Amino acid sequence: MSYQIADQPVDSTLRDYVVRPTLPLLATMMCGAWLAWPWFAFNAIAIGSPTRRREVALCAAAFAATLGLALVVLVLFRAGVIPNGLPLRFALLAITAFKLAISYYLVKIQERTFHVYTYYGGPVRDARRLLSVGWIARGLVLGLIDHPLWVIVIGGVL
Amino acid sequence: MEARQIDVLLEQAEVQRRLGNHRGATDLARRALTLDPTHPRGHAALAAILLDARRLTGAGLEIRSALALDGNDAYIHRIAAVVLAAERKLDEAWAHSLIAMQDAIPVPSAYVVAARIRVLQGDVGNARELLLEALALEAAHTDALTELARLAHTGGKPDEAAQWITQALGSDPADHDAHVVAGHIDLTRGDAASAEHHARFVLQHRADDAGALELWAAIQARRSLLLGAWWRLSSWLLLGGDRRQIALLIGGFVVSRIAIIITDELDLDRLSRVLSLMWFALCAYTWFAPVMFRRMVARSLAAVRLDPEF
Repeated sequence: MSYQIADQPVDSTLRDYVVRPTLPLLATMMCGAWLAWPWFAFNAIAIGSPTRRREVALCAAAFAATLGLALVVLVLFRAGVIPNGLPLRFALLAITAFKLAISYYLVKIQERTFHVYTYYGGPVRDARRLLSVGWIARGLVLGLIDHPLWVIVIGGVL
Repeated sequence: MEARQIDVLLEQAEVQRRLGNHRGATDLARRALTLDPTHPRGHAALAAILLDARRLTGAGLEIRSALALDGNDAYIHRIAAVVLAAERKLDEAWAHSLIAMQDAIPVPSAYVVAARIRVLQGDVGNARELLLEALALEAAHTDALTELARLAHTGGKPDEAAQWITQALGSDPADHDAHVVAGHIDLTRGDAASAEHHARFVLQHRADDAGALELWAAIQARRSLLLGAWWRLSSWLLLGGDRRQIALLIGGFVVSRIAIIITDELDLDRLSRVLSLMWFALCAYTWFAPVMFRRMVARSLAAVRLDPEF
């Protein structure tokens, strides 16, 4: 058994499904967190990233933290602390910015391993079709549960 | 027998690293560490290779393994100083470079490493003194001469920079780093043709030399106003690391959204639409500019003929 370099991806049976980390980022903007964060987690496993556990945990934590923030905004709104109009829109913008920041951070972590992965000739799939399907399906997904929390947590940026 | 085999593998790895064959060098160092995973210099050599290949995470982990296994080896401290400087942990890097310089047999490279850290710490005067000390140990040390040229160049002294780099290239006419610095000096002086000549020379021998590719990209960036602007912005962002990039992107997004929300609330529909379009245009530009720039650089690189011995 040869020495395993710490930053080198481990062998994975899902190599054929690896995509550029910027595609899940694009999914954050165009489709929503429902597609983007699970995609980031899957991509980390498919690449065989040495930090995959951390990346998967970060994706799960992102959902939990967004839910927490959304709950706070909703409770404050219902208590009248955050009035309708400009203050509510700013509060929702803060949540969107948080989601985008998490996605950018995930890209930065995943790109490090992705560069090593491609350096050793790992295959990369063009997943624009999946992105298009996500874009078309986002209305359907958002409409699955008629509750503001659902829309805030899994919605996109656009 | 095994120890000798490891030494040979590490020597070969170092030769390949110097030749720019990072993959081959990594493989040789890995083979050495497979034979003995507790070889401190093996981990340090691998750290130096990974750093050259711009794999900073791996380099950081390897050099920490080396230091844990042997904390008294000046060579390991020298590599640790370089890796930690790349991680922007400058105080720690400086501490390691001090140990490296205290070796029984002074090595000019240790002084060059220390000088590079001093530059990052903003102490250019001390960096210059350290480089002159390196030259006192070895009068024609190419790396020290090249660093002095770089120092003069960034300090806005092109004539002095040209003198140092002429000496560096006189000491070793094939030194890649010296050619890259010479190219940047020429570019600043407006001589793009000469800069291209230096970049071409390096790329003919080492097609994936990061410094030469960066110089080549800087030359190409001058040929297109729009793509050049992106090049300058991305270079500035890269210097600041991940935090600067994320802060700027999120900051830009939030500011634009606030502007759009306010104009929308004030019923300034037309202005709100213009702001939305501007934001969309900026997103499209930052998305497509790197792709177009990479294509432009790749197209120009296709014209570079590799050396027959490449």
